[in-house]
Amino acid sequence: MESHDTSARPRASELTPEQRSARALARSRRAAMRRRARRIRRSVAGLTATLFSAAFLTVYVQLASGHDPALSAAAHRRAATATVGAGTASTTSTSGSESAGTSSTPSASESSSESGSSSSESSSGSGSSGESSQSASAVTTSQS
Amino acid sequence: MIGAHASMSATAVGPHLFWLTSRAAGIAALVLSSVSVSVGLLMGGRILKGRRAELRVAHEALSLATLAALIVHGLTLLGDGFLHPSLGDLAVPFLSGYKTLWTSMGIVAFWALLLLGLSYYARTRIGAQRWRKLHRFAALAWILGIAHSLGEGTDAGQSWFLAMTAIVVVPAIGLLVARRLDAWRSPALGIFQGSRQLAAATRALDPRTVRHSTARSE
Repeated sequence: MESHDTSARPRASELTPEQRSARALARSRRAAMRRRARRIRRSVAGLTATLFSAAFLTVYVQLASGHDPALSAAAHRRAATATVGAGTASTTSTSGSESAGTSSTPSASESSSESGSSSSESSSGSGSSGESSQSASAVTTSQS
Repeated sequence: MIGAHASMSATAVGPHLFWLTSRAAGIAALVLSSVSVSVGLLMGGRILKGRRAELRVAHEALSLATLAALIVHGLTLLGDGFLHPSLGDLAVPFLSGYKTLWTSMGIVAFWALLLLGLSYYARTRIGAQRWRKLHRFAALAWILGIAHSLGEGTDAGQSWFLAMTAIVVVPAIGLLVARRLDAWRSPALGIFQGSRQLAAATRALDPRTVRHSTARSE
């Protein structure tokens, strides 16, 4: 193998000036390509770091300013549930006082227990605004 | 995930650090993979013909950066306070209970990108032709990744995210479509050229043509 290599590549002293200059040119081209490759790799590493930092900063600012899509959606849901819950509680108390005045208590007590369960669900943050609104309507129906 | 994060204060960033890191790494991976796909498609195209060596280096570097970002994206989720996923949930499709389909899509895309990307270093063993055929599936994995980010990503509904995704994804899809069209047209062109050559050869061998040309030469 080595003998083959030596036969394929003559020594520098055996080369003609044209061959020598051609070799030098090839060497410089290889070095330039290597330099370019290194520069591209560094650029990609820089791009990656910049991208990550920019993305992190964007989501961080979003979160810190209270505009995070997940958190704001959950907050809206909580607020809606709380409003419905408060409405349910006031309606229930009204129905309670009315039922105290009248003798028809079973439906009112059932509905108040329903609304209680729905408010506890909403406080756990499961986003059950639909359920609580259903219970609110149930309370209103029983009241009427 | 949303419920637990919402239970904390919106301004308290500390508890969300892993979640934020994972999101940022996912966004970086989406951009890097799209650019990588574009560069890979440009390599085989005719637009930047003289820049093949530089494009190859860029494609390789971008692919490795994508894989690194994807690993960060997955591993940081292990520290998430709400999700508490196990390594299996993040590595095995259809194991996680959280948005199972979209999560599984992301996991499959990751494994496909990892295997197809790293197979480049074993292409002499695989065989260059076979490896090239296999490598085409990387585009499919990339599309799965985009679907995962749009279907499950927390920021998927945000205008900045959609604009950023469009900027990097649309050119890559355009190049992919152009490549596919080229591939469909090329065999047809080959058949057309082959038939022309065959017709020329038949004409040359036709005794009447030969006789005619001989008579003319005489």
